[in-house]
Amino acid sequence: MSAAPVSHSDSHRSMSGIDVSALQFAYEGIPILSDIDLHVAEGEFLCLLGPSGCGKTTLLRLLAGLDLPAAGTISYNGSQIQGPSLERGVVFQNYSLFPWFTLAENIELALSKSHPQHDANWRQAHAQDYLARVGLGDSAGQYPSLLSGGMQQRGAIARALALGSPVLLMDEPFGALDPINRAKLQDLLLELWASPRKTVVFVTHDVEEALYLADRVVVLGSSPGRIIQEIAVPFERPRSRRLFSSREFIELSERIGQLFREDVLQRIEADSQLASVKE
Amino acid sequence: MASLGSQSNPAVTSTLSAAAQLPGAVRGSFKSPNISWPKTLRLQGKEGLIFIAGVILLWQFISSFSHFSGKYLFPSPLLTAQTLWASLPELLIGTVYSFLILLPSLALAISLGVVWGLIVGTTPALNRMFSPFARFASPVPPTIYIPYAIALLPTFHTAAGFVVFIGVFWPVFLNTANGAGGLPQHYRDNARILGLAKVEYLRRVVFPATLPQIFSGISVGLVFAFIMLTVAELFGASKGLGRFVQLYADYADYPRMVAGILYTGVVVWISMEVLERIKKRALFWLR
Repeated sequence: MSAAPVSHSDSHRSMSGIDVSALQFAYEGIPILSDIDLHVAEGEFLCLLGPSGCGKTTLLRLLAGLDLPAAGTISYNGSQIQGPSLERGVVFQNYSLFPWFTLAENIELALSKSHPQHDANWRQAHAQDYLARVGLGDSAGQYPSLLSGGMQQRGAIARALALGSPVLLMDEPFGALDPINRAKLQDLLLELWASPRKTVVFVTHDVEEALYLADRVVVLGSSPGRIIQEIAVPFERPRSRRLFSSREFIELSERIGQLFREDVLQRIEADSQLASVKE
Repeated sequence: MASLGSQSNPAVTSTLSAAAQLPGAVRGSFKSPNISWPKTLRLQGKEGLIFIAGVILLWQFISSFSHFSGKYLFPSPLLTAQTLWASLPELLIGTVYSFLILLPSLALAISLGVVWGLIVGTTPALNRMFSPFARFASPVPPTIYIPYAIALLPTFHTAAGFVVFIGVFWPVFLNTANGAGGLPQHYRDNARILGLAKVEYLRRVVFPATLPQIFSGISVGLVFAFIMLTVAELFGASKGLGRFVQLYADYADYPRMVAGILYTGVVVWISMEVLERIKKRALFWLR
């Protein structure tokens, strides 16, 4: 099995892709992320996996440029990230679309930024194309609040595609969906990721989802958030959900589950030590 | 979108509570869903009409069982209705005069209040600069400006227009600035992801997101506008709704005066209903 843990120090470094080094982030004096070193290769599908409260959403916001690190650097293709950019599209869990615009208008707004040289007719036609690609061809005139959660997330993906970003950052985008819609959207995402090939950083707390989607899984621990292991996912693509019952898959997810349990245990012990010191 | 829904509720309640403190604003304040009456007393949706019928009955009772002066001061409902009908042409002309002052001021105060509110609410430096002044100037009862405005400005029309403007501007500005300042972070995040420029951001994100608060400000402002207008007209108008009431009070023609008050009430009520319709249409996405 080639799923041996990869130490981040010997991972390949180059000018292309996302580079995070010695990253620290604190919020109101509380350390959220500490000593994050990470490289995401161009075209890679990377999952940030961790229990809630481990700072994985914060890390994604830092990659997007929505927040800035307290120390350390994040760069994309060699230049430091100092704010949001059209190079990095973001899909949030459930609020990527503006509710006062129709689906088409949301996409057109994105197109007006990514293709400022084109006129309104062009934008309308292309918004329709992007919506069709995510299976929303018939819902262009609908308002997001009238759509199901799955359709809203399809719209959010269409908007990210319309931005034309080579990097897609996704924050638990399917976390609120039912299992069927979740599976459908995972497959849609894999299809869209493949052509044209994009770099995806995908945050989730679902081990199965991470192993199904990713080339590599970065497991985060909590208090403060830090990388506890990087795992190269050994399964060949295209993957099928039959994989979930294979011995290798079960062993790998059990190993990750064990990492989570140890992390929780450490947290509890640290808390009780702290409590006894205070007494 | 759950986060949106929870965002809207405080805004709606603040409209009601703010409006409830003002005379003349009774929309919706009689709805009391928390009180459950015994089944025999439950009158689906007819309570309001029954109460109004009770008020008219009491009014009739007072006017028919009073002595001469009482009869004079409390014209019966029927006499008032007849007088109202007879005075309708004069009242309609008064309405036109009043609205010629009201509408331009209202439009100007709303547009300036919204634009300035959006800018101040989203620009921390401006906010720090302007809000101490706003905190001092906004609570000044606008009626206090009336004598000065009349002395200062060349015509009654401009003076009344000015005080209406003041009465509307502050609630619209304050609500807009508050709403824009407290814009939910996810809207800001999305705007930043899209790389919207400031004007685009204000027009296509902050403005629609703040509409619930803007409408709260406008409905408070509209009530203020009528107060300012009618009070100003008591001072020195030649025509108009407030002038009508003042004129017949001077002549001790109480049936006409009461008819004028009733008519004004109806005009304000209809205006509020129209605003409510516009609001429902503009906030269609808020579900």
